[in-house]
Amino acid sequence: MKNPAIIGKSIPRMDAPAKVTGRALYADDLKMPAMLYGKILRSPLAHALIKRIDVSRAKALPGVKDVITGADIPQVKYGNWRLVPQSQDELALAVDKVRFVGDEVAAVCAIDADTAQHAIELIEVEYEELPLILSVEEATAEGAGLIHDESKGNVSLVRKIDYGDLEEMFAKADYIREDTFKVHPVQHAYLEPCSCVAHSEEANRVTLWTSTQTPYIVQCLLASTLGLPENNVRVMKVQVGGGFGGKMELRPWEFCASFMAMRTGRPVKFTLTRADELAFGRRRHPMSIYSKVGFTKDGKLLAKDFQVMLDGGAYNAMGPTATFLCGTFGNMLYNYPAYRYFGRHVYTNKPPASAMRGFGAPQAAFVAETQMNMAADDLGIDPIDLRIKNAMQTGDVIPDVATISSCGFKECLEKVREISGWDAKRKDPKPGKGLGIGCFSFISGGVFNWFNTKYNFSAAEVSVYEDGTAQLATMACDIGQGPDTAMRQILAAELGIPIENIRLIAMDTATTPKADLGTWGSRVTLMNGNAVIDAARKIKEMLIPVLFEEMDLNQIHDIGFEDGRVFVKANPKKGLTFGECVYKALRGRRGEPLTARGFYTPRNKGLVSPAFSFGAQVAEVDVDTGTGLIKVEKMYTAHDCGMPINKMAVEGQLEGAIQMGLGYALMENLIMDDKGRTLNTTFLDYKMPTAEDMPPGESADVYTYEPEGPYGAKEAGEGLAIPTAPAITHAVHQATGYRCMETPITPEKVLRALNKIK
Amino acid sequence: MAMPEFQVHQPKTVEDVLDLLGRHRSSVKLLCGGTDLLIKMRAGAQTPEHLVSLNRVAGLKTISYAGGDGLVIGGAARISQVGKTAEVRRLYPGLAHACSVMATVQIRNMGTVAGNLVNAAPSADTAAPLLAYGASLVAVERGGRRQIKLVDFFTGPGLTVLEPGEMVEAIRVPDVSPRSGSCYLRLSARSKVDIAAVGVAGFLNLDLEGKVIRCRLALGSVAPTPLRCPEAEQILEGQTPDEKLIAQAAAACVRASRPIDDLRATAAYRRAMVQVLAQRVLTQSLDMAKGGTP
Ligand SMILES: Cc1cc2nc3c(=O)[nH]c(=O)nc-3n(C[C@H](O)[C@H](O)[C@H](O)COP(=O)(O)OP(=O)(O)OC[C@H]3O[C@@H](n4cnc5c(N)ncnc54)[C@H](O)[C@@H]3O)c2cc1C
Repeated sequence: MKNPAIIGKSIPRMDAPAKVTGRALYADDLKMPAMLYGKILRSPLAHALIKRIDVSRAKALPGVKDVITGADIPQVKYGNWRLVPQSQDELALAVDKVRFVGDEVAAVCAIDADTAQHAIELIEVEYEELPLILSVEEATAEGAGLIHDESKGNVSLVRKIDYGDLEEMFAKADYIREDTFKVHPVQHAYLEPCSCVAHSEEANRVTLWTSTQTPYIVQCLLASTLGLPENNVRVMKVQVGGGFGGKMELRPWEFCASFMAMRTGRPVKFTLTRADELAFGRRRHPMSIYSKVGFTKDGKLLAKDFQVMLDGGAYNAMGPTATFLCGTFGNMLYNYPAYRYFGRHVYTNKPPASAMRGFGAPQAAFVAETQMNMAADDLGIDPIDLRIKNAMQTGDVIPDVATISSCGFKECLEKVREISGWDAKRKDPKPGKGLGIGCFSFISGGVFNWFNTKYNFSAAEVSVYEDGTAQLATMACDIGQGPDTAMRQILAAELGIPIENIRLIAMDTATTPKADLGTWGSRVTLMNGNAVIDAARKIKEMLIPVLFEEMDLNQIHDIGFEDGRVFVKANPKKGLTFGECVYKALRGRRGEPLTARGFYTPRNKGLVSPAFSFGAQVAEVDVDTGTGLIKVEKMYTAHDCGMPINKMAVEGQLEGAIQMGLGYALMENLIMDDKGRTLNTTFLDYKMPTAEDMPPGESADVYTYEPEGPYGAKEAGEGLAIPTAPAITHAVHQATGYRCMETPITPEKVLRALNKIK
Repeated sequence: MAMPEFQVHQPKTVEDVLDLLGRHRSSVKLLCGGTDLLIKMRAGAQTPEHLVSLNRVAGLKTISYAGGDGLVIGGAARISQVGKTAEVRRLYPGLAHACSVMATVQIRNMGTVAGNLVNAAPSADTAAPLLAYGASLVAVERGGRRQIKLVDFFTGPGLTVLEPGEMVEAIRVPDVSPRSGSCYLRLSARSKVDIAAVGVAGFLNLDLEGKVIRCRLALGSVAPTPLRCPEAEQILEGQTPDEKLIAQAAAACVRASRPIDDLRATAAYRRAMVQVLAQRVLTQSLDMAKGGTP
């Protein structure tokens, strides 16, 4: 299928000039008259009862305008899984008990940040310490104390998948391997620490400008926790400096800002520091994983038994979704005749883990891919051949989950073999060097409605004007990944007008159509893109009659929209400019503006996602066997994101994903002590790779046309963050013989495996 | 904690610096790049009421090399300037390397060698190479001037023998004789923008027959202070180094180290790396020394 020229083009992001010149406004840039500054008092203990809080000295400090604790706020718990109310386990400020180091205990607002900080230091809290539970093993042990008294145990959620006859398949298997893995916590480390400003102009109504991926979710949960109708809460756009899953829930500071803005009648701002983020912020789930796989001797997969404990930290956050997705991606890439998944989400006294780029999938894929590589070695089959033998393809069905409507996985495997020089390099191994492979699949948005929204999943409103311009209004949010540009490309393609002629209003829950579930699960391009197309086509239906009337056309004619013109396809010279056409339509409608709304909710697409991306990546590493240091020399990627909307944005996602995957495999790790404190709270000690650590890359696009996607597009956001870690660990194994079963790889682990450190 | 108020003074002469130090004796700090000091002040770890900046003092940024007298680095000379100086790159490659890879571009443009030494972090990157080159500090106070050998300078993490009221006017590095070789290697998890988890610097000077006349070895990040390794140096001095001897000297470096487990590395890893890096440093220095005049 041939797409309009603007689809698939490399278009620099339209928000880029503002961001690189400093004109873009982020929440912390907002200043309002009489604005107050908020600060949060956090628990220094990981598990304790709150015996007494004395805020009198803080309240008495000149300049302090409000001080609140858990006793002051409505006792309405919140959480993203509204569909399962008992999973909603958080209050903005702790009541009676703290459950992790950093749990929010009190909040203050004052005339300036220093006064607010001083007031925080004047609050006295008396705690009674409780035994700490810092691992899933301790949390699930017989007789373990409860982290949430109202739950039956520390397992907050269980997910099971079971199909095929597992026992029979394992009985048939010629080769079975059982392994246990541990994966570690890392953080999103988005560049912009969380920040928000709330203001309440009218009693019982509040407006919140906040750095979020999910304005609609924040609106709904803020309303329920404040005891207001949803319509009384407005969440509005600011630029968001990255999210990666870390900004997709209602957060305590958003509640405190709104609550105190209503109490004081003054705007209230909260801004976190990097140390807050690293010490107390959301993170990717550490997991303890058992996996058993069975193959025939010629490498056909027969069965997999996959058991996972997710270390969820003190609250559910997005852990339930991670628990689901971990199971879904435990069997996603390959055909498993029998598969059993048993996932448990476990409370511990740590900062809550939540969504992070691929939630659940990176961990599941690390294990699946590592076992594929181990099996390949044992069976004497090339790792790429083994994958091709078992790879999913278009039309494959995963029982109860999905039908794969487009899949370029095999092509990706062939392509990456070719561009990486796989065969030649493996035939002629060099000391200290290695080549490794990792693969991925990911969802293009979720189907399962855990937020229990009553609205469509995505919506868009398009208005067109007689000056040839258009306005697109959508709740969808650009958090740096590029939909503000991509959605305009789609609209420009539909209406045939220049992209510069489209003004965008995004992320305002009061003025943009209901609803959009937000930026997560790589859903925006597919879902919001479809809503934009739906709205645009409705607009076109309003414009087409003008031409028929004007030109007295036979009804069999088709009308084209291109180059700012509306024309008869059979005779393109016959037509009007887009503006003229809108003008005439307005006249015909006796002045009623041309506005249309479009919607998208996936239908008949199983329970998981309307479409799946696929890809394969090869890492080339050089290991210094004296020091154990690993240099990633090159990354080769072949991936199927359907038909890309904006190639440059896809490349950006790929590079960012490699940076994150490299950090996950080799450098980043939140290090905690035995009191549940996170120790590395600066970027000096939380080691994200820098630009200088980035290897060069080579990539090949494998184009498929996804029937459910806008112009055939699928996701390119999260999936790419999955294969890098298993590819690197495999390459390190090929280079040194050290097989990483417990992430991350450190130089020391390599040397210990080589017996160079005792 | 909010950062308390403080006053910044910008004297133009060393005399004025010393006066200001005397006048505000009870609560004063010298300021160069501020890349250590301001971070400590923001964290509330230091609360001086007066900062005396050295950045406008005439002549204090000078870096000069005069054959025979060696290298003189002014008390306010920037790390990046030191790293770019042609004589430093040619004659003191270990120092040049430290000055080009430590910290970040921005920090190197602000930070100074004197600040790096006086801050006295065990991981201070210029310390190990300067120890290996046998450097001294010229300290001035109102009463006069003294020369302090760098080996005698550090007394603990963040601690030195410098008296309140004293400033480092210059760092003096002896000239390098022909048939010398030197090198500094540092390890960190991230290739750039990282604090060294282990650093080893070495200097070798050979006689015409290839015997070691002078050897200096220094370690960073593996003890409470940067330190020299006299035992290792003696193993090599007077000898014709070979692989075996180099390994022995490296082992003596390991014995001199007193590393701890911390966020950056375990003590066991650090010890193993002292061995590996010391061997590499000595091998490279030897190659360079054999290549004739550095
Ligand atoms: C992001 C970052 C990365 C860093 N990375 C590294 C690294 O990789 N390796 C490394 O070694 N360091 C690193 N540092 C530390 C720091 O940059 C260096 O120690 C730097 O050399 C300090 O110099 P300065 O001029 O900024 O010192 P300042 O902060 O100005 O001063 C430091 C101390 O020295 C005193 N002082 C300064 N000059 C004199 C003088 N002439 N006489 C007497 N006392 C004086 C000051 O009073 C103060 O106590 C890093 C710092 C940052 C912020």
